[in-house]
Amino acid sequence: MAGSVSRRGFLGGAAAASVAGTVAWAPGRAWADPVPPARIRLSVNGKPYELDADPGVTLLDALRERIGLTGTKKGCDRGQCGACTVHVDGRRVVSCLTLAITCVGKNVTTIEGIADGDALHPVQQAFVDCDGFQCGFCTSGQIMSAVEVVSDRSVHTDDDIREAMSGNICRCGAYSNIVDAVKQARGEK
Amino acid sequence: MTVSLSRVESRLKVTGGAVFAADNVATAYGYLVTSTIALGTVTAMDATAALAAPGVLAVYTPFNPLKLFGYGDNSTDETAPVLQDNGVRYNGQVIGMVVADTFEHARDAASLIAPTYDVKPGNVDFAAGVATATPTSSPVAEVLAPGVTSIDAALAASDVTVSAVYTTPHQHHNPMEPHAAVAVWTDDRLTLYTATQGVMNVVSHMARALGVDQSKVHVVNPYVGGAFGGKIGNWAHVPLAAAAARALGRPVKVALTREQTFAVSGHRPPSHQTVTLGAAKDGTLVAIKHEGVSGKSQSGPSMENVANQSLTTYASPNLHVTRAFVPLDVSAMTPMRAPGETHGAFALESAMDELAFKLGMDPLALRQKNYAVKVPNSGNPWSSKHLDECYTAGASAFGWDKRNPVPGSVRDGDWLVGLGTATATYPASRSKSTIKVRLQADGTAVVSGTGADLGTGQFTVFAILGAQALGIPAGSIVPELGDSSLPVATPAGGSTSTSSNGPAVLAAADAAKAALIAQAATNPASPFNGKTPTYANGMVSADGVSMSFGSLLTAMDLPAVEGTSSLPSGTTKGYGYLSFGAHFCEVRVNRWTGEPRVSRWLTVIDAGTIVNEKTARSQVLGAVVMGIGGALLEDSRVEPDTGRYAGANMAAYLVPVNADIPHVDVQFLNYPDTVFSPLGARGLGELGIVGVAGAVANAVHNATGKRVRDLPITLDKLL
Amino acid sequence: MRGFGYGAAASVRQALTQGGDGTSYLAGGTTLVDLMKLEVMTPAHVVDINSLPLRGIQCTPAGLRIGALERMADVAVHHEVASRWSMVATALRLSASPQLRNMASIGGNLLQRTRCDYFRDVRMPCNKRKPGSGCPAVNGANRTHAVLGTSASCVATHASDLAVALVALDASIRLQDRHGQRVVRLADFYRLPGDTPAVENQLRPGELITEVIVPACDWPQAYVKVRDRTSYEFALASAAVAVDVHRGVVRDARIAVGGVGTRPWRLPATEEALRGKPATEESYLEAAKLAVVGAKPLGDNAFKLPLVQRTIARALAGAR
Repeated sequence: MAGSVSRRGFLGGAAAASVAGTVAWAPGRAWADPVPPARIRLSVNGKPYELDADPGVTLLDALRERIGLTGTKKGCDRGQCGACTVHVDGRRVVSCLTLAITCVGKNVTTIEGIADGDALHPVQQAFVDCDGFQCGFCTSGQIMSAVEVVSDRSVHTDDDIREAMSGNICRCGAYSNIVDAVKQARGEK
Repeated sequence: MTVSLSRVESRLKVTGGAVFAADNVATAYGYLVTSTIALGTVTAMDATAALAAPGVLAVYTPFNPLKLFGYGDNSTDETAPVLQDNGVRYNGQVIGMVVADTFEHARDAASLIAPTYDVKPGNVDFAAGVATATPTSSPVAEVLAPGVTSIDAALAASDVTVSAVYTTPHQHHNPMEPHAAVAVWTDDRLTLYTATQGVMNVVSHMARALGVDQSKVHVVNPYVGGAFGGKIGNWAHVPLAAAAARALGRPVKVALTREQTFAVSGHRPPSHQTVTLGAAKDGTLVAIKHEGVSGKSQSGPSMENVANQSLTTYASPNLHVTRAFVPLDVSAMTPMRAPGETHGAFALESAMDELAFKLGMDPLALRQKNYAVKVPNSGNPWSSKHLDECYTAGASAFGWDKRNPVPGSVRDGDWLVGLGTATATYPASRSKSTIKVRLQADGTAVVSGTGADLGTGQFTVFAILGAQALGIPAGSIVPELGDSSLPVATPAGGSTSTSSNGPAVLAAADAAKAALIAQAATNPASPFNGKTPTYANGMVSADGVSMSFGSLLTAMDLPAVEGTSSLPSGTTKGYGYLSFGAHFCEVRVNRWTGEPRVSRWLTVIDAGTIVNEKTARSQVLGAVVMGIGGALLEDSRVEPDTGRYAGANMAAYLVPVNADIPHVDVQFLNYPDTVFSPLGARGLGELGIVGVAGAVANAVHNATGKRVRDLPITLDKLL
Repeated sequence: MRGFGYGAAASVRQALTQGGDGTSYLAGGTTLVDLMKLEVMTPAHVVDINSLPLRGIQCTPAGLRIGALERMADVAVHHEVASRWSMVATALRLSASPQLRNMASIGGNLLQRTRCDYFRDVRMPCNKRKPGSGCPAVNGANRTHAVLGTSASCVATHASDLAVALVALDASIRLQDRHGQRVVRLADFYRLPGDTPAVENQLRPGELITEVIVPACDWPQAYVKVRDRTSYEFALASAAVAVDVHRGVVRDARIAVGGVGTRPWRLPATEEALRGKPATEESYLEAAKLAVVGAKPLGDNAFKLPLVQRTIARALAGAR
């Protein structure tokens, strides 16, 4: 059934499909036995993508190695650094701990999808203006986090911004400038 | 005039468009298998199951290796070529690689390999080896005043002495980009996309490792996701990716996992330092004795000269510095941001604070009292030194005069508040650099050299200096680096990029202007043919006629003219060359539970000319942040039984997060050092971390009365 | 990661039908996907339960009900939770990172596995992961490990902040399997490691947590989390307290601690010792001494004994 879509599986029914999209159910398998890849349809930055992948493929590896959107970075692959932060249905998540197959029917937004044509998103522009990065490797994740923080009404003070941005590690140490960038994008600077 | 320009590559970095090594495309993926013992041999590695797993293309082990040769001149990486013998020299050593059609297949098949070992007891405990550390003959430096028989005699004759032991743990660079390499062969030519601080080092090492001519190796890596010294070495995944791609006839990508980076890609060795200071009652230093011991891996030559910091920081008529190492069966050491200076300054700056406390003297006043007007261990003059102004400007801006000298006396709610200071110094040097400037018919100019931009701002330095030298806007400059096909410039390391490449950009621009003028005066199609044209601000002029160089090139039907300039390494003898700085910080310690938190920071920098204030400030800011990590968080424990780094991941090896860092204020004095170079810019990338841990430790003491001499300063040491 | 079959359940009944040995339920995935990649967890089947209707945050005079699939981030900012069960909101807000809190479910949080580094490294022995293989943490790097409730087999710390607050509040969880429902006090749900550290709680194969039930508590509360890093780190010690003070005298208190136990650790003796005592730092510190009766420090974590006492006192003094 490689490449095909099974809506029968063990679950069946349109209800499941409407939530998780297509469902490929393979019976339990011994270690390293081949698992038929599922056809996964993703919407990323408003564009449809189809890929055949095992259900264990993460959204991060799907984006980077299968869809070719390499702006999202793998810094730890364990949810410990935030470099892979993307939005799923408008909420920031770490794509390294998100299975791609669970994103069927949802809207995924990556760093490649937030600018308006040539016009940078205000958060992107603020990171440029405030030098909110050095090497640039964590920057995609920082910006995707900051986009949420900019509109977070529970964030008020500089310390709130620091806490809200603490899920994104920057080893170059641009933190002060990142706080400035978030403030600029919030219209506070 | 101060220039403050946004990074020229900013747009790429905020849109996800900057291509890092692992972003390049491959059709096969390598996943490394690493050892789980400290010392011994691999007796068997059954690859049957892995080879049978889905998508697997090959499994390489010491019993089925890819042929690789040693690099020959290892100084920053490990000595033995990977997979060429079945020896295990440390836990985490690469002993195999699975290559498969997808990353997941390679990873999952790698877990099917269960090596068996013949285990020997390893020497992995640095602290246990300090007492029997191996002294080295060089450098042991000693300066004694006339009539003084020994450093101990000088100390004995001092009014006041302090002596203490300071220790620091294994530390890991942890750049956000894990090391990665993508190898692509076209016939007998290799293109290698690999995270590196110097593409030419990769070329020479891979040519040797693979047994091919250097001309067959092309290394491309314009964007590097942080490095801090850890991407100078060419670690095991690089030759493996290249050799596997050659063997399999398809592009291979190998990225280290975060966990693997801890052992595979080098780290900062632990240190044990004994600092003894002797002073007169008025605070004048009489003697500094600094005995440094560093860890050293049996797998590579790198170690740290921690005690050297005491040779050049403070004036003292008597100086004594020793160096020794403890050989360890742990993974290779390699330079990490200010190798030696960072930990050396932690000890020396802590000791100075202890001396000030014992003397009842302000710690900043003690530093000013012992200001080194000349180089302490040579008597030479400094090329340029304004550290005194760093002290006074910093003290004034920070409000140092409000510091309460009585430890534990300032409280804000549940937090004990203390202030600390420390001196930063880092050597300035210049390496050989060749830069090409190409003036193009479209009015732009390409400034190119093989250097690297690790986030340092080197791209932008090329643009700014090219623009200044050519008298055109920085936006008209196209900077190129990180490609081995370019002229050989200075790589990133030792804070020498701008100090070396900067003057070469200016010289190359002059050469390009000269080439343009020569063409203008002699080319038959030139309106200046036969005249004596001059160049200014992008325009060529003679006899009242002016045209832009782009128009002139177009008129002559030339796409471009080029000038290349090569500047040698070295500086004028007879001077001391250091960059300087002063740190001021406020630390708060919770009175109940002891957490230390940095709440204010100011660093004042004297590093000569600042080419780009914006990116320079970020470099210092980042160095301070990394220093705070070293002071308060970073600690890699080696398990005695296995030699394994306990907690080799980013949840256990803690580096600062945003909430750990207050607003960090950075000020530059910006005095050009024209003895050092025509540009006057010394180094900046490493300076900012030196002294940070000392300043923090000193502030913790002022806040609590507790002197922590063992990094990191964690809450358990303050309860 | 080992190969597995994936399916999404459309209803609780459908999920329960598929649950059982060898099957893991997938909610936020922050524990499961992580541990599957490390091959610490190797389910043959994964049932995605995110579309189940186990949602809702209901605040009534009697208490609080939280659907098991509510996300940590949403509960943390819920206005009434933050005002009436502030220790719950604070514990959530101080957990993990904003991204992980957006992903992780309340039920999943209560089932998260220990962060013991040996448990997470399949190349090391671990009695919890591989019964009988040994526990390297007992004599290994154990600065972050437990001092309460440990055994010779396991010293792994329970990682959840939320569970500490819920245990302090006498919360219960509703469990459901294909045979029916039951309600279990959270404090009783978690087991001590003893000789069987692989058995961490009362959950039966195929059983789901469907909701969390928290009694009302109108006393001043606090959740204090102490760690090396200011954020994005598990607790070295934490304390969830609710304290009823009348005219400067403690009438009653509820206290649980985290970061120090093999499960969230309720402190009835400390609570009892506080009753009738003046609401002062001195009596808080005195009562907190009882928190570490029977504690067993390891090589690197003896500091947790004084630390947890001070954390309790700090929380009591800071309860609002």
